[in-house]
Amino acid sequence: MLKMEKNKKKTWKETIRLNRRGLSYFCRSCPQILLSQTLYGIWTALAPYVGIFFSAQVIQELAGQRDPQRLGFWVLLTLASAAGIALVSALLKKWKETQDAGAWFQMEYFLTEKILKTDYVNLDETENADLLYTIRQNKNAGGWGFYRVLNDFVESCSAVVSILAGISLTVTLFLLPVPGQASAYTWLNSPWVVLLVVAVMLGITLLAPILANQAESYWAKHADLLRLSNRLFGFFGFLGYNRELAADVRTYEQDCICEKYNRNKEDAFNSQGIFSRYARGPMGLYSAASGAVSVMFTGVAYGFVCLKAWAGAFGLGAVTQYVASITQVSGGVSKLVNYLGDMRNNAAFLELEFRFLDIPDRMYQGSLTVEKRRDRKYEVEFRDVSFKYPGSENYALSHVNMKFEVGKRLAVVGMNGSGKTTFIKLLCRLYDPTEGQILLNGIDIRKYNYSEYMNIFSVVFQDFQLFALPLGQNVAGRVDYDPVRAEDCLQKAGFGDRLEKMPKGLETYLYKDYDKDGVDISGGEAQKIAIARALYKDAPFIILDEPTAALDPVAEAEIYEKFDEIVEDKTAIYISHRLSSCKFCDQIAVFHEGSVIQQGTHTQLLSDEAGQYYALWNAQAQYYNEESND
Amino acid sequence: MKKKEKPKYNMAQNSWFMVKLAWTSKEKKVLVLGLLSALLTVALNLINLYVSPTVLGVVERHGSLGELAGTLGGFVLALMVVSAAANYININVLFGRITVRSEIINLLNRKAAITSYPNWQDDRFQKLLPKASQCTCSNNAPTEAVWTTLTNLTANGLGFLIYLVLFARVEPVLIPVILLTAGVSYLIANRLNGYGFRHREEEAEYDRQISYITRRAGNFQAAKDIRIFGLRPWLEELNRKAMEANTAFHRKAQGVYLWGAVADLVLTFLRNGIAYAYLIGLVLYQHVSVAEFLLLFTAVGGFAQWVTGILGDCGTLYRQSLDLTIVRECLEYPEPFRFEDGQPLSPKPGEPLEIRLEDVSFRYPEAEKGTLCHINLTLHPGEKLAVVGLNGAGKTTLIKLLCGFLDPTQGRVLLNGQDIRAYNRRDYYRLFSAVFQTYSVIPGTIAANVAQREENICLEKVRDCLEKAGLREKVESLPQGYETLLNREVYEEAILLSGGETQRLMLARALYKDGPIVVLDEPTAALDPLAEADMYRKYHEMTRGKSSVYISHRLASTRFCDRIILLDGGSICEEGTHQSLLEAGGKYAKLYEVQSKYYQEGDAENGEE
Repeated sequence: MLKMEKNKKKTWKETIRLNRRGLSYFCRSCPQILLSQTLYGIWTALAPYVGIFFSAQVIQELAGQRDPQRLGFWVLLTLASAAGIALVSALLKKWKETQDAGAWFQMEYFLTEKILKTDYVNLDETENADLLYTIRQNKNAGGWGFYRVLNDFVESCSAVVSILAGISLTVTLFLLPVPGQASAYTWLNSPWVVLLVVAVMLGITLLAPILANQAESYWAKHADLLRLSNRLFGFFGFLGYNRELAADVRTYEQDCICEKYNRNKEDAFNSQGIFSRYARGPMGLYSAASGAVSVMFTGVAYGFVCLKAWAGAFGLGAVTQYVASITQVSGGVSKLVNYLGDMRNNAAFLELEFRFLDIPDRMYQGSLTVEKRRDRKYEVEFRDVSFKYPGSENYALSHVNMKFEVGKRLAVVGMNGSGKTTFIKLLCRLYDPTEGQILLNGIDIRKYNYSEYMNIFSVVFQDFQLFALPLGQNVAGRVDYDPVRAEDCLQKAGFGDRLEKMPKGLETYLYKDYDKDGVDISGGEAQKIAIARALYKDAPFIILDEPTAALDPVAEAEIYEKFDEIVEDKTAIYISHRLSSCKFCDQIAVFHEGSVIQQGTHTQLLSDEAGQYYALWNAQAQYYNEESND
Repeated sequence: MKKKEKPKYNMAQNSWFMVKLAWTSKEKKVLVLGLLSALLTVALNLINLYVSPTVLGVVERHGSLGELAGTLGGFVLALMVVSAAANYININVLFGRITVRSEIINLLNRKAAITSYPNWQDDRFQKLLPKASQCTCSNNAPTEAVWTTLTNLTANGLGFLIYLVLFARVEPVLIPVILLTAGVSYLIANRLNGYGFRHREEEAEYDRQISYITRRAGNFQAAKDIRIFGLRPWLEELNRKAMEANTAFHRKAQGVYLWGAVADLVLTFLRNGIAYAYLIGLVLYQHVSVAEFLLLFTAVGGFAQWVTGILGDCGTLYRQSLDLTIVRECLEYPEPFRFEDGQPLSPKPGEPLEIRLEDVSFRYPEAEKGTLCHINLTLHPGEKLAVVGLNGAGKTTLIKLLCGFLDPTQGRVLLNGQDIRAYNRRDYYRLFSAVFQTYSVIPGTIAANVAQREENICLEKVRDCLEKAGLREKVESLPQGYETLLNREVYEEAILLSGGETQRLMLARALYKDGPIVVLDEPTAALDPLAEADMYRKYHEMTRGKSSVYISHRLASTRFCDRIILLDGGSICEEGTHQSLLEAGGKYAKLYEVQSKYYQEGDAENGEE
């Protein structure tokens, strides 16, 4: 099971590398989000200094010559600049917020893209599924990962700008000398004093966030607890929302057990939980200390500034400017420390995301063109094929030898877990065999161009998936499609009558998840649409994985009878629990515990009374066999 | 969309709702800590207000160095104490707030889990629920963030009052200026803030669309289909379009909000202009010191900040209140069924129960045609009834009516002659031990999954039920036995049961519940022939001595039932035993013929050889 390496902090070098890489994703796919946030951050960092500077001029003038004209000028400038800044802030904010509206989804898409593109076999590895799950949990629980990259970057930029601008407004504080007549205080001019003051200030500025981080560290220490708590909450807090489970939830009064968990005050996050105890104890004290220390900074700043002003180095206006600016700089420094620390903490989470994004695609990508044979003359051969699921000890398939020709009907039967579906997945190259070879027209299928090879297969999986999108698009799998052909395929699949009743025909949305005016369809109807989709693709191989499970007897019979017609001259492979459907097939392969234990026609296989096929057949036939009825 | 809508609850009502909730869920500390936090904020502000002018005053007067040090030291010490206290409080406010939010999540989930089943067909409820849930999804969600708003509002209000007194004593002229400019700004902002509420359904639509595509493209379920049918470009295009539509919507909304900011900056300009002119006048002509000017000037800024703070908080509170209204509307969503207000129902063990559907018709709210019409059906005590029919014949709807998930549009469902609508529906559900097609494995032990509870589990009974369901051996072979955890989404160390094993677990669960009526809804669809045959035997055993309803479209499996009804086009078209129906040679016989054809021919062939 995957665990975050606890207390294993990333080095700064790695932190920078990971964050840079994180930023590159934003630059590549949504630069506006990055740009708008950064500009807004910088702008809001600069804005206060304008006010500080101008109002200091007003005070300086008031404390000094009090010239009404000059006063008016400075006042007007203060006001106008404030208004101008506010306007630009508002515009930038509009941009930023507009972009931000899709940011969360955009970041989710970084992962989605990988999931869409990667080798299918990668998705079947539990380790990868766990990894993705952890990534999403971290994201939802603490915003860890990509979102923080953006935020850390923007806030650090803004902090740096704030520090630089502040320093440029305070540099004269250290340079302006105390005049000679106040000789008792000229020691304030000494560079050593200046250095000491700066050092003390810096020390305090750094100490405060260190204490704050110490307080924060309690969260990280028990990240496992937080995750478990979130997982439990994710389940019990929302079980009731699942419409499909509504009947079950009510029948078993599951609201009670949900309530027990949801009201558990000793849960990590809740008021009697472990973190609450920490907060009352060390976590709270560290935080309090950090608050006290950061105030000391203000004290030192005031002390130094006032002392120099008192000794006559500069006027009252400058005092306000210096104090305000130093406070801003201090804020900037602790912000920078804070966000750099956050960046470093985030690096470990980011690494997880990259680990997922970097999962290598190992499937060999051949370049051979799949011959587009008009006669659809294809021959497929499994030559001693074995397959082990990644991370699994046992072979899901072992030493399968099989050969079949185009235009034939092949039935694959066997118990659950006997390897039927794995066989299909290997055939369509969702996986590559661990050992052995699969040959198409005598050539190893790995040597063909992958997408072209996939083009010759249409599969209706047992757990086929339709989308809550328009019917026609579901059939064609694209936005622009040929409506005539789509309709034709739906007719062939037996969906014709239902299609006439669809309010918007092919444009009707299925289900209500995407469009509220969508139409709910039954499992059987969905299956017909899935079959229509397979037909629309018009591939030379059509594979039906238990296509009649959700169909009623009439529809089942309809499919059986129309099957030959539906698949025309294509090669059909048929996986089924319903052995009655095997009879019309030219060849039947019986799978058992990963091997093909019997092959032949129905009649041949049934004659072997000791065979698995005979047992399976009779388990079902007994219901229909009047004699055996007790 | 243009219709003007007034939220059902206002800000005060919703704030009171939250306060009451904190009180009743024994989290009074939320209120106490919030108040303390507000007080400390104001204290901090006041110290900061005086520190600069006072210290500057000393410098201006050129007072003694001791005085300077003393003044400064005093202030710094005060600041340190208050800051430390504020930090300590602020880190502690979190947990109570989370607990209160958890309670809201609990209430919403409870509502969703027990609400009258027809509400799931209600479009408005269906939309309301996820939106309400959104309001509880994070620490920044309104159900938690509202405490921050209320705390800020308290602090700002208190600060406002103190400054008001300060100005009233020194310069009352400035008060109306600040209030007027701020007030106008508030009204404009408030008007514009309503945009989000008025268009919240449109926003939810975009959200739903993007979420849908993201969810479907981003989980592994559809990965096979996406690859085989090359669906990636399709999904990517739709995702892009939905994202663009979403951004366009937000651009428009932000365009509206922008004017609020513009109005505010104009009014701020006016306010500060007047304040400056007036205060500078005081310094020039009335010998007010620069330190005093600084105090008053800072105070004008501070006063305006309290006012804008209050206004901002009001804006925030207004928005949060809209969201809280959604939560409350959801929680208070009317229940067509009776629960606590219905008659209690607790039949004695062994009491015969008869359920009768009397001239029952049912039509789904939006549907043109009825799903069921004029059904008369009695489930006699101890009877095994099978319901068969084609897909869409109304089997599932019939079961939902029988189990009390739906109420008939016309006619009545009677339990021992009494209309079930009169009863507490929860009590009614207790009558049923059901295995539906969809169920969930709860994160917990195997024993807890069987018993559906975590305390007072009768292990003896769990063992017995697992035995009957044919899973005992497997469970006892596990290292943790009955304490083995299930559901890997929650527990990393949990084990994964196969489809057939899960099915047996669900069967054991139904057995443990031991309801007088057993309902089985097509439970064998995904099983292989041998497992299927075994399951039928198990069902046969478990329904012994109980009333049971068995739904299937595989006619063969219903033979063990006493009576079979065949649904067609929403009504019962045939009824009888397997044998009598076959002999009648009607629709049932024909369907059976169709289904068994292959098998029987097979046997014939087999016989020939």
